[in-house]
Amino acid sequence: MMRNSPRNMLLIAKREYLEKIRGRAFRISTVLVPALLIFLLGVSAFTGRKMGTGKRIAVAADNAALAADIRASLLDDKSAGYTVETAAPATAQDRANLQARVQNKSLDGLLTIQDSASAAPKVTYISESSGDLMDTWRLDAAVNHGLLDLRLNQRGLSPQQVETVVKTVTIDTLLVSGSGQTGKSQGMTPFYKATLMTFLMTMPILLYGMDMARSIIEEKSSRIFEVMLSVARPDDILTGKLLGVGAVGLTQIAIWIAAAVLLSSTAMLAPLLSGQIKVHFTLLEAVLFPVYFILGFFLYSAFFSGLAATCETAQDLQMYIPLAVIPTWTSFAILPFLLNNPNSPWVVAASIFPITAPLVMVPRIGMLSAPYPWWQLALSLALLVLSIWVVIWFASRLYRVGILMYGKRATLPELLRWLRYS
Amino acid sequence: MPVVELAGVTKAFQNTVAVRDLSLSIEAGQMFGLLGPNGAGKTTSIRMMMGITLPDSGRISLFEKPFDRRSLDRVGYLPEERGLYKKMKVLEQLVFFGQLHGLTTEAARKRAADWAARMEISDALEKKTEELSKGMQQKIQFIATLLHDPGLVVMDEPFSGLDPINTTLLQDALLELKSQGKAILFSTHRMDQVEKLCDAICLINNGEAILSGKMREIKSRYERNRVIVEFEGSADFLESGEIAEANNYAGHAEIKLKPHGDAQKLLHLAASMAAIYRFELVEPSLEEIFIQSVGGKPQ
Repeated sequence: MMRNSPRNMLLIAKREYLEKIRGRAFRISTVLVPALLIFLLGVSAFTGRKMGTGKRIAVAADNAALAADIRASLLDDKSAGYTVETAAPATAQDRANLQARVQNKSLDGLLTIQDSASAAPKVTYISESSGDLMDTWRLDAAVNHGLLDLRLNQRGLSPQQVETVVKTVTIDTLLVSGSGQTGKSQGMTPFYKATLMTFLMTMPILLYGMDMARSIIEEKSSRIFEVMLSVARPDDILTGKLLGVGAVGLTQIAIWIAAAVLLSSTAMLAPLLSGQIKVHFTLLEAVLFPVYFILGFFLYSAFFSGLAATCETAQDLQMYIPLAVIPTWTSFAILPFLLNNPNSPWVVAASIFPITAPLVMVPRIGMLSAPYPWWQLALSLALLVLSIWVVIWFASRLYRVGILMYGKRATLPELLRWLRYS
Repeated sequence: MPVVELAGVTKAFQNTVAVRDLSLSIEAGQMFGLLGPNGAGKTTSIRMMMGITLPDSGRISLFEKPFDRRSLDRVGYLPEERGLYKKMKVLEQLVFFGQLHGLTTEAARKRAADWAARMEISDALEKKTEELSKGMQQKIQFIATLLHDPGLVVMDEPFSGLDPINTTLLQDALLELKSQGKAILFSTHRMDQVEKLCDAICLINNGEAILSGKMREIKSRYERNRVIVEFEGSADFLESGEIAEANNYAGHAEIKLKPHGDAQKLLHLAASMAAIYRFELVEPSLEEIFIQSVGGKPQ
């Protein structure tokens, strides 16, 4: 057999890269993806703020102090922007009148509390639209807070004493490093950071992996790969294409990062990037992220190319798309375990196992502090490189033999025969 | 000194034998036609020469060495299923293939320009491939096959889909390559081209070679038993005992002699009955040989 030719591999990579970079699809996705992200962020920020706001609510209770207490807590939540009126002690006639106003929409909701002194008070909320989650949470908290105040009061505690007893606290979480120093609280940061990283890792790997598969199918349907096979080895062709498509991905991400830095320096995105969600990346993460990204891309793309080599048209490939989604499922399924304990056996295993390693290891390292588990890192990288090699070996065989199968998609027994045959 | 040699090559796919015990060899400076109906095993044989599929048994040599992919740098291959990168500009595309065959960028550029001029497509060099007509694309593919000046040119159905002008252009180019001492193999199911161009042929049917060798030798193996007569007067000589079968189209008769039928006797008889303008003893066309050998109509 002809030896691998790095020259041919690079020529193929360069061709792939230039063609993709010059293509319209590249320009469109480079602009469209961030635009879509900003739009989605904007929408969620907007709806989050607006959810359940500005409603007019009436509280009809049998106890005036309780009604006032509930009203105070509801008004306390500025983000909700409620207007609250009270009727206490309320008669059945009062309740009927208020309910009529809900029906004719001059009120958005009516909260009634009866038998407040009993062990099981009867609390109902009547509204025209059901199921506003935020409203339910807020009302629930306000009612329980009010009833607690009332009961403690009845047991002889003064309002000041009650205030000290029921005061809620927010928890500051501290990180202890190996040297015993405690770091500043990160609060929700690890959650956002791990989600962000998993997202950043999975989406491009999937997108460019599918891109790679499409490129293979194009070569099959344009019949060019028989010419290619007569000038280059199949694994050189595949590796070259992987390098080319991978470089396109990195270019696109570099453009996005550069654009994000520019945007944030214009202070437009500053509150988002540095204000509410503060994410710091350590040097190790900054190094590991691209390494795992590239290896992950190679592994998945090689896998997708092997699948693509058995397909005749893009429609045939559709069948395999659920398979392609597996990395996303796994990584997001592992996320809660990771957040719970980055050193739990399942998480450690997932960060070493080649298929999940690219998606799990970097967020995991992000949650650990020095000393890092170096041997696990080394093992995970070694296994990843090895499995890329194996997958390329299989995929290039399928690619070469796929040529004999114009006109139909291969069945599993056929695939096995192909592998043996070549 | 054969440039390519197949010895006892067999290849089976699942239940069908695509090529059975095929032997052939092509010399430098020879134009070789691989003939046969569709599905006869032509493409499979060619793919084995190119290392795209491997034979189950038998031996393939390129340039007098056992098959080695490194030798493919000296081979130009035009597959039956043609393909080009549609989005690429023609010149870039040609340079890319030239480079893959080991040419430098400059050399590839220069040769691409020369060939484009010769194939009358210089205007297309800066266009995207997808903007061009099928015939133009085929010429580009043809150039891509020859850019690296290969010692062996292998073309699977090179003339299919070409108009007569481009067919001639391509034939002339192949003849010139042949005169430069290149070995050329092409497959086709069109007998007239083979008859005109090839020095040697191999006719395969159902995966087996049923006829192979130098064109002249093959033809001389078959009897000259066809006669064409153009005449004026009585057609009664067509009843002669020398004739097995005759078709008379108002003064133009196509005659098939009986085995060992004597053409000279027939000529005398005819001349005694009618004015003869033409009396030609025709050698069998390749198509007739093909039909005789295969025992059926070519598709």
